[in-house]
Amino acid sequence: MQRSCFLINLHSAARGQLRAPAQSPWRTAGRAARGALHVAAAEKKQKLMWEALREAVDEEMEADPTVCLMGEDVGHYGGSYKVSYDLHKKYGDLRLLDTPICENGFMGMGIGAAMTGLRVIIEGMNMGFLLLAYNQISNNAGMLHYTSGGQYKVPVVIRGPGGVGRQLGAEHSQRLESYFQSIPGVQLVACSTVANAKALLKSAIRSDNPIIFFEHVLLYNVKGETIDGYCQPLEKAELVRAGRDVTILCYSRMRYVVMQAVQQLEKQGFDPEVIDLISLKPFDMKTISDSVKKTKNVIIVEECMKTGGIGASLSSVINESLFDYLDHQVIRLSSQDVPTAYAFELEAATIVQPEQVIEAVHKVVGAPVPA
Amino acid sequence: MAGGIQLSRLAAVGGYSALSAAAGVASSKPSAAATEGASKQTNLCTAVNDALHIALDANPRALVFGEDVSFGGVFRCTVGLKERFGAARCFNTPLSEQGIVGFGIGAAALGCTAIAEIQFADYIYPAYDQIVNEASKYRYRSGGAFNCGGLTVRAPYGAVGHGGHYHSQSPEAVFTHVPGIKVVMPSGPYEAKGLLLAAIRDPNPVVFFEAKMQYRTVVEDVPKGDFELPLGVARVAREGSDITLVGWGQQVGVLERAAAEVSEADSISCEVIDLRTLIPWDRAAVEASVSKTGRVLVSHEAPVTSGFGAEVVAAMSARCFLRLEAPPARVCGYDTPFPLVFEPLYLPTQQRVVDAIRATCNF
Repeated sequence: MQRSCFLINLHSAARGQLRAPAQSPWRTAGRAARGALHVAAAEKKQKLMWEALREAVDEEMEADPTVCLMGEDVGHYGGSYKVSYDLHKKYGDLRLLDTPICENGFMGMGIGAAMTGLRVIIEGMNMGFLLLAYNQISNNAGMLHYTSGGQYKVPVVIRGPGGVGRQLGAEHSQRLESYFQSIPGVQLVACSTVANAKALLKSAIRSDNPIIFFEHVLLYNVKGETIDGYCQPLEKAELVRAGRDVTILCYSRMRYVVMQAVQQLEKQGFDPEVIDLISLKPFDMKTISDSVKKTKNVIIVEECMKTGGIGASLSSVINESLFDYLDHQVIRLSSQDVPTAYAFELEAATIVQPEQVIEAVHKVVGAPVPA
Repeated sequence: MAGGIQLSRLAAVGGYSALSAAAGVASSKPSAAATEGASKQTNLCTAVNDALHIALDANPRALVFGEDVSFGGVFRCTVGLKERFGAARCFNTPLSEQGIVGFGIGAAALGCTAIAEIQFADYIYPAYDQIVNEASKYRYRSGGAFNCGGLTVRAPYGAVGHGGHYHSQSPEAVFTHVPGIKVVMPSGPYEAKGLLLAAIRDPNPVVFFEAKMQYRTVVEDVPKGDFELPLGVARVAREGSDITLVGWGQQVGVLERAAAEVSEADSISCEVIDLRTLIPWDRAAVEASVSKTGRVLVSHEAPVTSGFGAEVVAAMSARCFLRLEAPPARVCGYDTPFPLVFEPLYLPTQQRVVDAIRATCNF
C-alpha cells in the first residue's frame, strides 16, 4: 500500500503536481531537489520490454514452484533476448533448463512435463525455429486435452521473438501467427507494450491452456511502465485510441506503425479508432464488433503475409457477422507474399509502412479536404 | 441419427461418380464418345498410379520414395513401380517425414524429379520446417542460382469415416501462407491424374493432397495416356446463377450434390467451382463467378478458423464488396481436433451446405 501510494504520487509529480506523501523523507527537501528526485524515480520506473517479461517469469516462478522455463540458452546464457537473465542463479539449472538444439524434442518434453503437473514455458530462440516443433504443437499440445476427454491439461506457454527484424533474412523473420491460427486447441496472444507484455505473460503462465505467446524481435528494448501484480485477460483486445472514422485493427509491432500514421492523420483531421487485437485466437469479437458498428469502416494492419494471414481470417469473420454495417470493403494491409529479403530496402518494401496506413485511411474515409 | 450417418456415408461412397456421370453436370472432362477406347473407368489410386508410371517412364531422373512405397504403398498408389523401374528409382525411406522431404529437396536441387510420399497428411508436420524454411525459399534465397522445383510431395488427406485425429486431417491451410510452393488438391480421379502430371513437371515444389476416401470409392472415366491439367486454373464444375459454391478436393462432390438438391427442391441455381490449386489460386475465376451470382459460399473439411476459406471469403468480400447480396458463408469443419465418433457431426455435410445455401439465398 505504502509503495503504491508512492508510485501514484510519482505519477502526479510527472504531470507537474508535487505532492509528497506524509512519511516521505523528501518532505523536508527543497522543491527543486524534490523535483529532481521525482524525475529520477519516474525514470527508474520505466522498464525495457525484456525486463518486464523477465519480471513476469520471475514473479510466477517465485509464486509457484511448478513453473519452469526451457529452451536454448535460457539458463546460463540468460536467454538470447535476456528474458531469463540470471534467473538460473535463483532457481537452478532444472527450472531454467538449457536444452539441446532440438525444437521438436524439447517441445515434446515440455508438453509431457505439462501433462504431468508442471507449468512449462517453452522458449523458441526465434519463432521461426518452432516450425520444427509444429507436429508437437499441432498434434499434441492442441489435441491432448480433447483426446483425453479432459483428463490431461497442457499448461504450456510457447513464447519467443518473431516478426521482421533488421535484415535477419527469410528464415529469421517469420510471422508464425498465420500458420498456427488454424490449429484447434491452442490460444494465440501477441503482446505489444511493456505493460501488456508483463501482464499477459503472467496470465498466460497461470492459464491451463496451451498458449502461443508472440513477442517481437524489435520490441524488446521498447520502454514503458508495468502495473504491479496485474494479470491482463488473455482474450480481450486493447483500445489504443478511440475514434469515429475508421476502425484500425492491428497487433504487435504494427501498433506502433499505426500510431505513427495516426500522428499524421490527426493533423489531417481524421479520427481513427485503433484497436490492438492482443488475442489472435480467439478474436475479441465484442470489442471489434462494437467498434465496427460505430465506424462502419475497417482496416486491418498486420505483419504476416497477406495470403491466408490473420487478416484473412479476421476479415472473413467481420464480413460474415457485420455485413450490413460495412460501408467499405475491409482493407488488409499485410506483408508481401514473399520470403523476407535480406537487403534493407527490399525488407522495408515487403512490410507495412506508416504511409500505407495513411493512404488506406484516405481511401476508406475520403481524402483530406485541402485547407 | 444412426440412419442419417449411414445415409451420408453411402452418399459419399456411391454418389460422386453417379452424379458426375448421370446428372449432366458441366465439366472439363472429355466425353466418353470423343475418347472411346482411350479412357477407362479408373479409381483414384489407379489414376495416381498411372500418373506415376507415366512420369517415371518419361523422365529417367524421376524417383518415387516414402514409407512403404516399395511394395506398392499402403493405399496401392505405387504398385508396380519398383518392378518396372528398379529399386534405385522406387524405394522405401525410414519413418522420418522430415528426412523424406529433406532428402527430396536435396535430390531435386541436384536435378532429380523427386516425388515424395507422406503416408498420411496428418504426419506432414515433422516435415513442415523443411517445406516452409527450405523448399519454399530455396530459389529465392539463392537468387535463382539453385532451386528444388523438381520436388513433389504427395499425401493422402481428409475424412475417411473412421480416421480420428491422425488419419483424417486436412492441413492445406498451413501451406497456403507459404510463398514459394504450390498446393494442389484434385477433386477426383480424372483431375488427379492430370494435375499430378502437371505438378510433377511444374518447375516449383508442389504439395499434392489426395482425398484418401476416394482412392477406391470414386470411379470415373480417365484417359489412359499422358495428359496434364493446368495448375492455377479453377474448373467450373456446374454452372449456375444464384450463388457461387467454392470448394476443392473431395468437398467438391459434396457441393455438387448440395447444388443438385437445392435445384430440385428450391429452384436455386448454384455455380460450383473446383479451385484445384490453392496457391496460386484462380482468383479471377471466382471473382467472375461471384460478380455474376452475388453470393458466395466456401466449404472445406479443415477447421473454419483460418482455413483457406478465410482467404477466399476475404478476397471476394473485398473485390466484390458492392456486388454481394448477402454475407459470404463458410461451411467447414469446426475448431476442434478431428473427432472420431463425432465425425458425421463435425464434417461439412451436404445437409449443412444446403442449409447455408438456403440461408444465404434468403438473406
